[in-house]
Amino acid sequence: MPLWTLFGLSRGNASTRWPASGDDGQAGVLGMPRFHPDKCREGCSDCVEACVPRALFIQRDGEARLGMDYGRCVACQLCVEACPAGALEASEDWAFGVRRREDLVWADESVRHEASRLNHRIRQVFGRSLHVRHVDAGSCNGCESELQALGNPFYNLHRLGIFFTPSPRFADLLLVTGPVTYAMHGPLLAAYQAMPEPRFVMAMGTCAVSGGTNGGGYACGNGLDEVLPVDVYLPGCPPNPAAMIHALLLLLERRQQKAQGGRLDRSET
Amino acid sequence: MTVPVIEDLTPGQLPGRCRTLLEEGGRMQFAYAWFPEGDGPAELRYVMSPASGQEFRQWRCRPADDAVPSLAVAAPLMSWYEREMTELCGIAFADSPQPEPLVLLSGAQASKPPLVPGADASLAYRAQPYSLPELSEPSRADLQTLPFGPVRAGVAESAQFIFYYAGEAILHYYPQLFFKHRGMEKRFEGRDAALGTVLAERVSGVGSVAHALAYCQAVEAAAGAVVPPRARALRVLLAELERLYNHFHYLGHLSHTTTLKVGEAQGLYLEELAKQINGRVSGSRFLRSVLKPGGLRRDLDLGGVLDQLNRVVDEFTPYADMLLNSGPHLDRLITNGILTRQAAEDQGATGPIQRASGWDGDLRRDQPYAGYAQWPPYEIPVRQAGDASARQEVRIAEIEQSIALVKHVLAEVPDGPLAVECAPADGSEGLGWAESPRGALFYAVHVGAGGRLARVKIKSPSFSNWRVFPFTVHDTNMMDYAINEASFGLTIAGCDR
Amino acid sequence: MTAGLLLAFLLLVAGLLCALARRSGPARVLIGAGAAAAAIAAVASIGGTDAVTLPVALAGQRVVLRFTTPSLWLMGFGMVPAALAVWLCSPRRLGRPGWLAGAALSLLGALGVFGVQDGYAFLIAWELMSLGGGVMLLAERGSDEYGMSSFYMLALLEVGAVALLLAFLFLAQYGGSMGFTDFSAGARAMPGGLKAFTGLLLIVGFGAKLGLLPFYEWYPQAYASGSGASGAILSGVVLNAAFFALSRGLVQWLPVDGGWLFGLGEALIAIGVVSAILTSLYAFQQDDWRRLLSFSSAENASIAASLLGACLVFRENGLSDFAALAWAVTLLHMAGHALAKGGLFLVADGMHGAGHSYRIAQRGWMRNAGAAFGIGALFAAMSMAALPPQMGFVSEWFVFQTLFQGFHLSSLTGRLTFAFAGAGLALTAAVALATYVKLFGVGLLGAREAGGSAHVRARYSMSVLLLGLLVLASAVGLPIWLRALHPAITTTFTTHSSFTLTANWLLIPLSGDFAFISPSKLVIAMPLLAIPPLLLLWCMRRYPVRRAPVWYGGMAENARRAATTSLTFSNSMRTIYNFIYRPTHDPAREQGASEYFIRRLALNHGVSDMFGPLLFRPTRRFVWRLAGHLRALQSGDINFYLALIGAWLIVILVLTLY
Repeated sequence: MPLWTLFGLSRGNASTRWPASGDDGQAGVLGMPRFHPDKCREGCSDCVEACVPRALFIQRDGEARLGMDYGRCVACQLCVEACPAGALEASEDWAFGVRRREDLVWADESVRHEASRLNHRIRQVFGRSLHVRHVDAGSCNGCESELQALGNPFYNLHRLGIFFTPSPRFADLLLVTGPVTYAMHGPLLAAYQAMPEPRFVMAMGTCAVSGGTNGGGYACGNGLDEVLPVDVYLPGCPPNPAAMIHALLLLLERRQQKAQGGRLDRSET
Repeated sequence: MTVPVIEDLTPGQLPGRCRTLLEEGGRMQFAYAWFPEGDGPAELRYVMSPASGQEFRQWRCRPADDAVPSLAVAAPLMSWYEREMTELCGIAFADSPQPEPLVLLSGAQASKPPLVPGADASLAYRAQPYSLPELSEPSRADLQTLPFGPVRAGVAESAQFIFYYAGEAILHYYPQLFFKHRGMEKRFEGRDAALGTVLAERVSGVGSVAHALAYCQAVEAAAGAVVPPRARALRVLLAELERLYNHFHYLGHLSHTTTLKVGEAQGLYLEELAKQINGRVSGSRFLRSVLKPGGLRRDLDLGGVLDQLNRVVDEFTPYADMLLNSGPHLDRLITNGILTRQAAEDQGATGPIQRASGWDGDLRRDQPYAGYAQWPPYEIPVRQAGDASARQEVRIAEIEQSIALVKHVLAEVPDGPLAVECAPADGSEGLGWAESPRGALFYAVHVGAGGRLARVKIKSPSFSNWRVFPFTVHDTNMMDYAINEASFGLTIAGCDR
Repeated sequence: MTAGLLLAFLLLVAGLLCALARRSGPARVLIGAGAAAAAIAAVASIGGTDAVTLPVALAGQRVVLRFTTPSLWLMGFGMVPAALAVWLCSPRRLGRPGWLAGAALSLLGALGVFGVQDGYAFLIAWELMSLGGGVMLLAERGSDEYGMSSFYMLALLEVGAVALLLAFLFLAQYGGSMGFTDFSAGARAMPGGLKAFTGLLLIVGFGAKLGLLPFYEWYPQAYASGSGASGAILSGVVLNAAFFALSRGLVQWLPVDGGWLFGLGEALIAIGVVSAILTSLYAFQQDDWRRLLSFSSAENASIAASLLGACLVFRENGLSDFAALAWAVTLLHMAGHALAKGGLFLVADGMHGAGHSYRIAQRGWMRNAGAAFGIGALFAAMSMAALPPQMGFVSEWFVFQTLFQGFHLSSLTGRLTFAFAGAGLALTAAVALATYVKLFGVGLLGAREAGGSAHVRARYSMSVLLLGLLVLASAVGLPIWLRALHPAITTTFTTHSSFTLTANWLLIPLSGDFAFISPSKLVIAMPLLAIPPLLLLWCMRRYPVRRAPVWYGGMAENARRAATTSLTFSNSMRTIYNFIYRPTHDPAREQGASEYFIRRLALNHGVSDMFGPLLFRPTRRFVWRLAGHLRALQSGDINFYLALIGAWLIVILVLTLY
């Protein structure tokens, strides 16, 4: 008769201490491509043609320029392969959790949005204990797989004081994945109505942020902000668990936002 | 990948041919409809395998305006495909035993059948409660309905499970799926065939490799391209790595339902180790963005994989031993949710579920694809009991086989080019398949003008297995339900598409 | 005041005549007034009436009417719900004259059972009471097999009557006459074994009416072919009459000498406890108000019967104080039961009037019926479930306190029996609590039916409220009402002078050191405890409350479909006690083209009776076979008949000459 308790104790502690220190578990995992518009060739639109979710686009305001919306990017790296000039470079940038949708769109240096004001009450009230209700509004199951991974011994979300609840009545945060299909529109709104205030909403995954590859068509919407007011956006297809942890801590104002104007702050903080 | 044999039939010939096929030991795989000429009439395709080991065959049928006779009485598994064709393509079937809409929820009105080529249909939806089967009058006052979902406890996919139960005993169970229907098959239309892989990977997120493989192989069949040996070997590697992390997750989830906490933690931990191997090998924890029609897009980083894999084996071997010997855990699995071989065959069960009910069949051995002809799995585990314990045993055995196969391939990966040119001609078509961790997955690809996709049909294993699952739940009890569902290990995204 | 009882008698006879003349309006008023007069007279002359000798003689025995305190106590508590039931009358208009005639007969018979003092009149009154019950049920035609149900009931009651007749014959043989005063002398003169046998015959005879095993089997079918009004009479005054007769027979006729009394008492305890357990378990599984309440009546009567057995055991041991306690508790138990059960039967009728069904199903009655109906139903259900501060709680508490005194007994068997009896009655009480939670929760609370339902008529609400308040009042004022019983208790049992059941406003089992309760104080304390939450609610009223719909998982659901039903509430017990229930659970599926396409679903479920297949059906088959053999006598041949007559004449000649 196997003794599971002894087995478990003998395994020791498998949790990482990230983000305080240690391994984030994402060695080798590719993220969003880095954009160097200065290397672009004139008249070339190879990357736009290769981009299925239309994250790269030609914006015609005055002169034709290339635009990059990380909120639509699924990190498929096709643009990196298609670009003849090296303007798009594969990277391991995945910490793209932001509070405002505009921060995911590449913007010129001159146009900078002011940093959003922090509401220190969130950290005071929810900083050590956040209850999350997840609603799957039509995802491909990749985001759910990574969300379920948050509960495994390696990431161990409970050590950060964040828990998943079975009912929206106990929830502080509504975490939505998927581009909001027609059938899940009603249940999603019902879940939001059922949450007591104060409540927050996070759009997790590129489908929820903007529709991505799966959004649109006859059965889907184009992301969560058509339906609910969103507090944090996290693109990625799917965002890996470390990115999810970063985005949750960002909501709780325990970590800084790294992406601004489509640029990622790569210094280690 | 040879072009499948296509036979033209009239609608009236279908029932007879179907019966003959079943009598000779063949099985129907799936059916779909498409519109070869834009606004023109529909064309039906039925895909079947005549007998185990033989090539797939197709029947083509152009019904014009006649109603097509339903095959659902002779082959019950066809019922869902016919309902899907009625709803999404507007094909009428005569004598269908269950003509209710399947894919679009009741209360949804589409302006036109969504898969008719052209602009997207618009969908008006007003939620309506589920009402089948009818309850006779005194039973209506006796039985209680439990509508569970679509937002379910914990991090889970959205689906509504409707139970008619009397206290503990379940009288009838109906999984109302298709809340997650995204219309993925329509999204493929008009895309460049090379870019379709991006969509295929995102139909079912935890089956990215299988879907991408099946899609790429379909396009390669359409183009007549032969994938180079190195790519074939690496494709086997990717498929088996995907099988590993899926089966580890399955064991963790199954232990969760039997409240074996340490077992759950260990299963999920093994899944994390497998995903981290995936990340290092391919740059994606789900092995995405590596496959393309014609081969692979970039090389895999195989250094150190063997060591990492051995570490996983060291964690896994005592774990599997303990799972197979834990009395309380096994008590909850044995005789839970028995799927008889007859029901499995009638309803088209596939994958580990099929093999746990005594029915031997695996696409890797029967219809080899990618590198499986050269590196077949050593053994296909089969069990007879058909209960949750048998399904667990099959998956544990498959994990062991996958690890052995991965090591075998790693030792023998040939050098060479990673891809060949693959440009399907206009009007070509191809059938691709893969044995995903949940069963047999098929992609039927039709290429239209300009090398763009005209129609992609996805037959996912979860679609078949969800059809089977309710028949193991009727007349069981509520305590066993969660364990039974976990022992099937199905995804809803794959079914709903 | 015998005059009051005489008035009651006359009113009942007048009502009976009106009913026979098919004038239900006047009959209702008269019979109801008769019952009310009997109740009032019982309360007024609770000390006991003088003997009134009627100018009628049966077989040389003058009919004497005398009502003692216990008979008046039980009669008073039983006549109140009977009066209300008669005034509200049976819901079936066509059967009203017949029903009223039956009711009048039952009440007259009950009056007789409570008061007559000789065997002949008693048996006549007893049979009248049973007949009245049968007529009531036949007039109502509540179910498809109403004929068979009444027949079954009357047949089993006849078995009891035969046992009674036998017992009376024995007692009269040894006592000299059929007068009850001679019965006690007669019992003393009997040999020991015969005394026990007579006691057993009395138990069987009255137990057929009370529902001791195996006689409770006629209850569900009989009650289900009637209405709530019939149930209120049958479970109220009729049950009380039968219990009074049993307790008088065992306590006042049988002497206290010898170990046979110990055996008889133990047997009665065993029968009572097992009956209580079985009937409470069966009550829990019923889907129909009348069946559930009928099983519950049998359960309560069994509890009282087992306590009567305890009384006998205490008597044999010489502990007359505890015997008196046990006996008094049985009176309290039957009293509270009559009121509460009557109230619940009238609740069922009120519901039936609005919804045309006696099925236990969620239909939002409480919302439709108003506060009066709800409060009355709540108090009655609380009493049956033995929740404080109701009368049912008081009597249940006293039952356990009495059984706890078993450690005073001298023999090990006695102590063990009391311990097991306590355990058995604890199980019964738990199942009864679950039963009434189901009855009240599923039957009265619950979602409003889609489409709205009709309202419960005001007369039912008022009657139910009255009975509910009476239940509460009888518990709260028990220290006062018990003073009326005290003289009767002390004289029957020759107790010590320190015998008391009350101490100021507390209720105590002879001594306050052991335990005490006080419904009188609870009825003040409990509302006071409700004040803090109400205050909090009042303070919170200024905060806006955002209302969100019930969370079902995201989809709106028909609350009625998802509501708990009577079957789902009690189904799990079927598995636990399947050796008693032997439940049947047959889903019937109507297929479409093949077994994989299900179009229609039905569930046939049920629990099996215990004694029906074991005892009654084989007996009936035997009687059928015997009758079949005896058919030969109906040959139709005139010569055969003449020969038979000739043979009988010869036999008579021989008997008279020799």
